[in-house]
Amino acid sequence: MVPGARPGLDDPRWYERAVFYELLPRGFFDSNADGIGDFKGLGEKLDYLQWLGVDCVWLLPYYPSPLHDGGYDISDFLTVAPELGSVDDLAAVVEDAHRRGIRIISDLVMNHTSDEHPWFVESRSSRDNDKADWYMWADDDHGFADVRVIFCDVEPSNWTFDPRRQQYYWHRFFHQQPDLNYDNPEVADAMLEVVRFWLDLGLDGFRLDAVPYLYKAEGTNCESLPATHKLLRRIRSEIDASYPNRVLLAEVNQWPDVVSEYFGDGDECHMCFNFPLMPRMFMAVRREQRFPITEILAQTPPIPDGCQWGIFLRNHDELTLEMVTDEERDYMYAEYARDPRMRRNLGIRRRLAPLVDNDRRVAELLYGLLLSLPGSPVLYYGDELLMGDNIYLGDRDGVRTPMQWSPDRNAGFSRADFAQLYLPPLMDPVHGYQAVNVEAEQRDPSSFLHWLRRMLAVRHQYPQFATGSLEVLPADNPSVLAYVRQARDVEPPVRQTTDAMARAAENLVGEAAALDGASLWDVGPDSVGAPVVTAPNMAPTAVLCVSNLSRFAQPAELSLGRWEGRTPIELLGRVPFPRISSAPYSVTLAPYGIYWFELVEP
Amino acid sequence: MPPSPQALEALVIPYLERQPWFLADMSRFNHNLHVAPRLADLEIVLDGRPGLASVVVTVGERPFHVVVGWREASLAPAVLGDHQGAVLGMCSDGVGDVLCYDALADDELSADLLAVASAGRESARRVRLVQSLVSHASLVYDERLFMKCYRVLEPAPRAEVELLYRLDEVGFKHMARPVAHWERSSWDLALVREYIPGAVEGRLLALTSLRDLLGRNLGDDSSRRDEVGGAGGDLSSEMRRLGEITGNLHLVLAEAFGLRSLAADPPQVAIRVHGDYHLRRVFRTDAGWIVGGFGDDPLIGRAGPGPAGREPRFASPLEDVADLSYSLRQVAGEAVRAQPTVTWARAQRLAKSWERRNRGAFLSGYLGVDGISRLVPADRASAGESVKALVAERVAAAS
Repeated sequence: MVPGARPGLDDPRWYERAVFYELLPRGFFDSNADGIGDFKGLGEKLDYLQWLGVDCVWLLPYYPSPLHDGGYDISDFLTVAPELGSVDDLAAVVEDAHRRGIRIISDLVMNHTSDEHPWFVESRSSRDNDKADWYMWADDDHGFADVRVIFCDVEPSNWTFDPRRQQYYWHRFFHQQPDLNYDNPEVADAMLEVVRFWLDLGLDGFRLDAVPYLYKAEGTNCESLPATHKLLRRIRSEIDASYPNRVLLAEVNQWPDVVSEYFGDGDECHMCFNFPLMPRMFMAVRREQRFPITEILAQTPPIPDGCQWGIFLRNHDELTLEMVTDEERDYMYAEYARDPRMRRNLGIRRRLAPLVDNDRRVAELLYGLLLSLPGSPVLYYGDELLMGDNIYLGDRDGVRTPMQWSPDRNAGFSRADFAQLYLPPLMDPVHGYQAVNVEAEQRDPSSFLHWLRRMLAVRHQYPQFATGSLEVLPADNPSVLAYVRQARDVEPPVRQTTDAMARAAENLVGEAAALDGASLWDVGPDSVGAPVVTAPNMAPTAVLCVSNLSRFAQPAELSLGRWEGRTPIELLGRVPFPRISSAPYSVTLAPYGIYWFELVEP
Repeated sequence: MPPSPQALEALVIPYLERQPWFLADMSRFNHNLHVAPRLADLEIVLDGRPGLASVVVTVGERPFHVVVGWREASLAPAVLGDHQGAVLGMCSDGVGDVLCYDALADDELSADLLAVASAGRESARRVRLVQSLVSHASLVYDERLFMKCYRVLEPAPRAEVELLYRLDEVGFKHMARPVAHWERSSWDLALVREYIPGAVEGRLLALTSLRDLLGRNLGDDSSRRDEVGGAGGDLSSEMRRLGEITGNLHLVLAEAFGLRSLAADPPQVAIRVHGDYHLRRVFRTDAGWIVGGFGDDPLIGRAGPGPAGREPRFASPLEDVADLSYSLRQVAGEAVRAQPTVTWARAQRLAKSWERRNRGAFLSGYLGVDGISRLVPADRASAGESVKALVAERVAAAS
């Protein structure tokens, strides 16, 4: 593993160091002017993703769907929605991405299907058809009474009556999404077929939607049951046996100790999202004190070797408040969602920029935390531009508006008629595409986009950020959060020489230069993009991260006695700071300031 | 052979008489400065070079404790580093001349002191002297253990030692737990307890919250954010948690020391209270709040009535609640005074609602604790009224 290189395609543990980028194929780029983004369009924008420094693209659901739940209600698992292109189009994108060292994973919904899926159509047609017990049917709606309703704003119950079968069916989400019955072994077999189909196509893994709910049992809350874990182990062993270097990323919106069970003994999911961390990053900044973060870090158990957290600031869903206490939730509501339209179920639907009142310093602080806390960062498309949202669109659509590529018509997203677009692009004077778009930010060397790209390059250079241990340093100032990331095992540096990587490097040099003149302004170690191997220290050292959570300048005294004699070197400018002595180390931080230091031996 | 008692006495007394903490204690309690100090007790803890002795000197009835170390004179300056003022003077250890000094200035001897105070159970590699107060000096060992080496001694059991051990016995978790204590001739000489790194004084957290509230609202005249609950620095969930911890503290204090009844109408329950409970006595750690200051330096915080003020006090548990509530008011006032004078009126209004909100959150956390109704009026209104009256007493006493 070369420090500074992006993970190679033949690296089985690539996901531990990868930067993920979550995107909506329907909203990314429209190649055929029908108003809907598609795979051919995504293929045209791989240059951009490579330039930015993304290692893995997570595709939101692209399957045929009546779209009652943003595509999470799937009516056919084995093809792509026709408006997005064909399976071959997707395969071509995967191949092209792999050439550039970028991986692609897709959303997989195992818990339920659309009520328009042929399985359910057949199942509801009578009580004795072949698929009669592929779903959860009951004569009354009294079962599983202890189970909470997740979409409590719109669904009164987890049971819905079906007039044809004259029975109730079970659904944890919308009533258009009947839950599959995994007690029937045929269902699990069918789902494994789905898994194989996409992996055979070349996909690099899955983000597993709503995994805790697969198996149900009376008298429980129907979440995280042992049988569910058993099924995950079965899928994992199938993947390990036949599909090397793939990843399973689980969505488990629970407290860290429950979530970590989904790593198993390293034999279930490779990755799980760390849900409670996200709202607490926001809370810490709003309260100007570190405890919301340090407290949840202290509650996060160690995870098995080969496993990694997925961490994020925002995603396609609302800012989840399920994993905060009621009192904290009231607080977050009051603070971040002054308009009731911003609240939905138990969350807040906003993009990052409007959440932080468009304060770039806060956005940089939050990204600084995201890129340096334990876990692989997952970026949400458009947030790298500080794109805004549209709270007047229904459901979660407010944060799913078209990617803003340029100030041209339809944000450069599509050449279709405006009225044809799947959703209108943002046009307000603050976040609208005239002001906020890729082209403008690429031309502006001091843009947020360039800043973030530089941070991603630095992160790639220091594997400690990805796999190092974390130690929170005591600081007398509650507004200062300081921690050290230190390599666990120092591996001897080995240069990757695979064809794919060599090609990727070549492509990068050529293509980055060709990109919209961006390279004209590019200076510094990241101008080539990746793989950058300019760090003077090849052996991983300790990296010290210090953040000021306050809007006022703050001092901090850190006890760095263990690193006495070392010199902290600031990572962005490579500026040496005064040597560490046995006395407490003084740092002065600008408002919302973040510093990353490498602690270099003399 | 260690230095003789006479030699140590001749060195310790002049050293003691020029220590600020000694002079502060003497003047504070109007002791008779003309009574000659005398050696009351001596233990040679470590015989050799370096050597260590624990020396108790009394002035009248008042005992003072100095830990003396000695080494070859040629080595001592390097060992003492920045603490050259710790030197007592030269004397003989039978082999030759040695330099005597305050042992807390010597890391190696300070580490030995930990072993002595814990009867050999604890050891440490790194030591740092963190605080030098009138009643004690504090040392931190390996960022793991904290030792209070008492200077002004009290007859055992010292209130702090007794309280910490009793609370630990009944299973109170929200404090730095005691690890060992060092006692001799019916004096408590030192206390060793857990050290919790990164603990932040409650007052600092409150000031952070106020800084945020005022910083956000004073520059923005729109009424949209002119609400304490809507401001970023909201402290109320923290105060609610602190209220819960406080309730639990009172329940275990009642369990450990029993209930008494106060002659009042209607009669009130009295328990052994913390007695000095305010925002400098509580600390936020990564795991939640902890309570400290079960017997700290009497020069900090609300002064007790002389030396006897450190004695255990039985009172209504609402006294502690009122003390903390009052300190919310004090810290709010402090934050307002730090603002530009032109904004005082507005800042004062905000600080007042901040105080009200956090006092309310603290009280509801407190009253929400299971079983607290055995100690205080269960209904919020009358408990709130009592606290209000007690806070008013404190305001009146301060002005």
